[in-house]
Amino acid sequence: MLQLTDVAKSYPTPQGPLFVLDGIDLHLAPGESLALMGESGSGKSTLLHLAAGLDVPDRGEIHFHERALSALDEPARADLRRRHLGLVFQQFHLVPSLAVIDNLTLQARLADREDPDWTDHLLERLGLTGLEQRYPEQLSGGQQQRLAIGRALAPRPDLLLADEPTGNLDEAAADRVLALLHELIHESRCALLMVTHSARVAAPLDRCLRLHYGRLEPGEP
Amino acid sequence: MSGRRPARRAGVVGVTLATLLSHYRRHPGQLAMLLLGLWVAGALWSSVQAINATARDSYARAEALFETRLDRIERRDGTPLSPATYAALRRDGMAVSPLVAGELTLAGSAAGEAPLRLLGIDPLTLPGTSPLARRTGDAASLRDWLLPPHRLRAAPDVADAARRDPRLPPVEVDPGLPPATLVTDIGVAQRLLGLAGPTRLVIAPEAPAELPDALMRIPARQLASPGQLADSFHLNLTAMGLLALVVGLFIVHAALGLALEQRLGLLRTLRALGVPGRTLVVALGLELLTLGLVGAGLGILGGVLLARLLLPDVAASLASLYDSHVGTRLALPWHFWLGGVAIILGGLASAGAGLLWRVARLDVLALGHAQAWRARLGGLLRRQAWAGGALIMLAAGLGGWLWLTGDRQLVAGFVMVTAALLGVTLWLPAWLAGSWRLAARLGRRRALWAWALADLQLQLPRLQLPMMALLLALATNLGVSSMVGGFRLTFLDWLDQRLLADLYLHPEAERHDALQAWLADQPEVATLLPARHAEATLLDAAAQSAAPVALFGIRPAAVLRAHWPLRLPAAERDAAWQALAAGEVFVNEQLANRYRRRPGDTLTLRGADGRRHRLSIAAIYPDYGNPRPEVVMPVARLTRVFAAPPGSLGVVLRDAPGSRRQRLDALVTRLAARFGPATAESAIDQQALKADATRVFERTFAITRALDALTLGVAALALLTTLLAQAGTRRAQLAPLWALGVSRRRLVGVQCLQLTGTALGTALLALPLGLALAWALVAVINVAAFGWRLPLHLFPLQLLVTLGLAVLVAGLAALLPAWRLWRMPPRQLLQEFAAT
Amino acid sequence: MKHLKTLLAGVLVALLAVGLWRGWHSTPEQDTARGYAGLGSAAEGYAEARPGDRLVFPADHGAHPDYRIEWWYLTANLEDAAGRPFGIQWTLFRQALAPPGATEAAPDSPWTSRQLWMAHAAVSTPDGHRAAERFARDMTPAEGPGPAGVRAAPFAAWLDDWRLAAPDGTDSGLDALTVRAAGDGFAYRLTLAAHGPRVIHGDHGFSRKSADGQGSIYYSQPFYRIAGTLTVDGEEHAVSGRAWLDREWSSQLLGPGQSGWDWFSLHLAGGAKLMAFRLRGAGRSGGDYLSGSWIAADGTVTPLDGDALRLTPLTRQTVAGRELPTAWRVQVPAQALDVRVAAVHPDQWMATTFAYWEGMVRVTDTQDGTPRGVGYLEMTGY
Repeated sequence: MLQLTDVAKSYPTPQGPLFVLDGIDLHLAPGESLALMGESGSGKSTLLHLAAGLDVPDRGEIHFHERALSALDEPARADLRRRHLGLVFQQFHLVPSLAVIDNLTLQARLADREDPDWTDHLLERLGLTGLEQRYPEQLSGGQQQRLAIGRALAPRPDLLLADEPTGNLDEAAADRVLALLHELIHESRCALLMVTHSARVAAPLDRCLRLHYGRLEPGEP
Repeated sequence: MSGRRPARRAGVVGVTLATLLSHYRRHPGQLAMLLLGLWVAGALWSSVQAINATARDSYARAEALFETRLDRIERRDGTPLSPATYAALRRDGMAVSPLVAGELTLAGSAAGEAPLRLLGIDPLTLPGTSPLARRTGDAASLRDWLLPPHRLRAAPDVADAARRDPRLPPVEVDPGLPPATLVTDIGVAQRLLGLAGPTRLVIAPEAPAELPDALMRIPARQLASPGQLADSFHLNLTAMGLLALVVGLFIVHAALGLALEQRLGLLRTLRALGVPGRTLVVALGLELLTLGLVGAGLGILGGVLLARLLLPDVAASLASLYDSHVGTRLALPWHFWLGGVAIILGGLASAGAGLLWRVARLDVLALGHAQAWRARLGGLLRRQAWAGGALIMLAAGLGGWLWLTGDRQLVAGFVMVTAALLGVTLWLPAWLAGSWRLAARLGRRRALWAWALADLQLQLPRLQLPMMALLLALATNLGVSSMVGGFRLTFLDWLDQRLLADLYLHPEAERHDALQAWLADQPEVATLLPARHAEATLLDAAAQSAAPVALFGIRPAAVLRAHWPLRLPAAERDAAWQALAAGEVFVNEQLANRYRRRPGDTLTLRGADGRRHRLSIAAIYPDYGNPRPEVVMPVARLTRVFAAPPGSLGVVLRDAPGSRRQRLDALVTRLAARFGPATAESAIDQQALKADATRVFERTFAITRALDALTLGVAALALLTTLLAQAGTRRAQLAPLWALGVSRRRLVGVQCLQLTGTALGTALLALPLGLALAWALVAVINVAAFGWRLPLHLFPLQLLVTLGLAVLVAGLAALLPAWRLWRMPPRQLLQEFAAT
Repeated sequence: MKHLKTLLAGVLVALLAVGLWRGWHSTPEQDTARGYAGLGSAAEGYAEARPGDRLVFPADHGAHPDYRIEWWYLTANLEDAAGRPFGIQWTLFRQALAPPGATEAAPDSPWTSRQLWMAHAAVSTPDGHRAAERFARDMTPAEGPGPAGVRAAPFAAWLDDWRLAAPDGTDSGLDALTVRAAGDGFAYRLTLAAHGPRVIHGDHGFSRKSADGQGSIYYSQPFYRIAGTLTVDGEEHAVSGRAWLDREWSSQLLGPGQSGWDWFSLHLAGGAKLMAFRLRGAGRSGGDYLSGSWIAADGTVTPLDGDALRLTPLTRQTVAGRELPTAWRVQVPAQALDVRVAAVHPDQWMATTFAYWEGMVRVTDTQDGTPRGVGYLEMTGY
């Protein structure tokens, strides 16, 4: 479903281009979950951004559902993101001016895929029932991240890209959020690519890879 | 568990727009500020436009009413013509039409209400294409017009009042008539006004006429159209409106910038969730459009209300300056509304275009790029300062050119003023930054001082716009106040010089000579100052072009010679008066400027009888407030050569024991006994005349002052909204200081000082700018627009007032945020740490 | 005669009671009922022209204010030295705006009167036409005459400086007159001298205008020799020829349903004159009403009724956007007259407030085409 072939990405520095990713090959099957581990600055987030079509590689090709991202223009990549991908960030990036329910359904509505049954189900599973009319600032950190996960899953994406989704949470809250994430992924048969530096977080996933100086190595959680 | 929720379908743009707008639901203050900015900008601009449109409408109606397009024929002595004279002229083949004109006070009108203008016409002979002329085709209405009970056409503003007057014929409303005007059949008007015959005849300018000696023909082109005369006044008004628009747009700019900055994160999130950049730009554009339409609606509505408030004063100004009549009711054409919306949307677009540009190039991955943007600010400041400097150079160059050539061109004047205002405004941030750096160096030892100045540098991007608005408002205020103040002083002086007599009489023509003789014999009378007016045409050297001039006859008595102002060194004045007595003339400054004449040059005048007279100019005199070129000569010569009809008689009282009032009353009582009460009633006490003139003057500049005050108010508002908008950020910056042990009271004090200090710095820059503006107004724009020049008076108090105003405005604007900080519980300050 | 041109007068008439304005806004039926320019309007309150009225001169040369409309109508066929045809028209109309007694002049104002004056002047050149109109209110200043009016003796009719009058110091009724007028691009000043008697039409001056019986008082002086100067576009022409003056007054000219008329005044070879008119829609059962006068060279008048007179349109031409019959066959069998009457040229339209065609015509023999005279033709209501 997601295929990265010989992907490289560099940033200009005064000392010449710095390759944060170099010769990356990666494949993710439908429904499969993959943890991407690595040190800070190892290029994990960059890889995630490339997979989401938020950024373009210097070299190599990324295919999603057999379509080369390089062949798509910006609106088409945005379209793909809206309909097929879910994104969860460490900082949640909820919309502060929207109530919980509107945040939850935001991407689904953007993708014109709002499903009231699924929304209600998500609310219940995420433990947000009864909080629909609150605003993000009135929620706890764990609730905010659950809401962010719900927002990503509401349009029933094929692939969830998560960037340190529990980085801002304490251990107990993180565990609850992760457990919920896995259940929901299974329920909706959604693939998962999760960036994390934590072995605990990576452990329950199907596979684990490690980024080291821009190169991909098989990893142990 | 909530109930079943229906799926909402709004499309990507719809959802995006709703999400963007949700920001204002959480921050209604920002929305209010945006709309406020649009509202004040729109209201001030469109009120000026509404006033202009109404005035233009009035002029158009006045011109449509034939009076300005037809030659007049009047008796030289100003008395009514007889119907027999009219009939005889017609039978001799002259295409004249009789006209009765006078002022009519409606029955039941309140005391002090201005009388209406009543015109009586003969529709069968009225030349031209006026809709009042022979409405052929419409036979029934012609019959109604000519036969009792006749008809009366009334301007819309006075139709209802006219209907209530039982003396008047049935009323038809005619929107084509100038304000406060009634038109009816000549017979009816003659009866209503109690006249014995037509007051004058009118004739098409191209129609020939050989007139008997008792009559004179006044060409239509001598009756300059009111629209032309008042054009310059409206140009000034428009410039004021434009200034207000610019100041209002400063607010809009600040508000929009803030609303964007606070939503940068939201915009990135939306992009991440799959909203294409183009869709985001479209949605923001729609948001701007919606805001613009609402703001334009509010602005135009406010403008119309404001115009309604100001219009009476404007009408009074125009009436006293140019003798043109403008309705006190708004008359707004469709393009006024459309134009108002367009200018407000345009203004919003100018503020929003940069925003959309930034959104279009938004870097989705960048989370904290505000720093980079701020880094670019340094470059921006430098570029602004360069552009400002260039504009200041341009203004200085233009000013120098105007000064050297003595050429007073209105457009060049306005360009110079605009360039100077804009240039200094652009230069302001650099000036402030520099001043702060200097101040910081001076007070390096004191930590709080250093912090306050460094903090100000950080605030500069936000503060620069409201400070620019303040600068513009202060400079304009100073410039305009100096001009009006100088004007006022000069005007009062001039009144003292011109109104020398204690009493003025306007006797009927046939009593003039008898009255003059009688007065000369009275013991109270020291000197008699008779004056007469006439009209003539000024020909250029080749007699190719002709222009109307007024002729003014005076008696150069000693008292008058002592006070009459001349633009000559004191030593040359006696010679000038001797030259006047010997056959030369004085001309007013308006004539000298417009036709480029100096003492020693000659004028060729054509009198009403067609004869030409070559006259030498002995001196030029200032003549404030007079829109027309004027030539002065001894009254005896004016009567002899130009057949001037009898005019007024000024009476200078002899110094004697007893109050001036008593001596005046005694004279007037004897006058009434000798010549009847009507003649005595025509006597005007000089003091009442001065009071009247002063009142008219104050009203003339009421509009200028009103706009001026409003502009300053807008600037204060801009500052306040900016401060409120950045209150949240400020809190984060102040919290660490508080944590370090600076009390809230001191924090509030520092904040107020920062602001008032900045405002003071701005005001220091506004002082020279305002003085330059005053000079430009007095020496360039007024000369071009009105034709006369004022001495430039500087009022030190005015400079202090300007500084004080700046401090006051900043203080007022800082008050609310300071009060909030003062009242803020420590818990909230602590939150600043919790949040990070 | 023809001069119902008066229609114009009608103009004034229009001013009348109902007036055009209301006419335009009324239903078509009402329109027809009022006829051209309101001339068919009811005449209540006015004096009415009746058979049996007797003319009294010179008083009847003056105005008859109790009647609604009245005119002094002069036309002349002229030639310059080269024999080129010219023509002039000079007409003064009087129109009462209200019946006598309805509104008398306010005693304190010389301006208010129920009478209105209108004048038309025109010059026809061999290939062109100039016309002008003037209006004046009836007024009587305390001293001197008003801007328009008529004096019976010595005769004078004027509006502004347009004047038809006996020369100063003379008084020979209508026998010797001068006429002058000027307008945009033209002016004329001519002298008239009658060489034949005044002609009274109809029944001692009562000229019936429809089968229903209403009519006007009508007399003419068709025997003028005229000479003087025309100025057209700054060029002077010395001209001479024959002129015809019509005097007519009435309070109701048109019957219901009448739409307009065609009017002829012809100077025939041999010195006879013919006045003939056709009132369209004024005859029995909606037909035309024809009438006229045969005037022998000695001034003897023979009234002509519909059977003694035939007027047949021959050629129609488009003038000023309308179809007009500019050539006619005119037959008076009892006088063995059968002639073709054709416009010298069609461009003689009077584009005045109330517009009509008024112009010089040539008379030729229907059989062999030999010239048989000249005259004027008036056509209204087209």
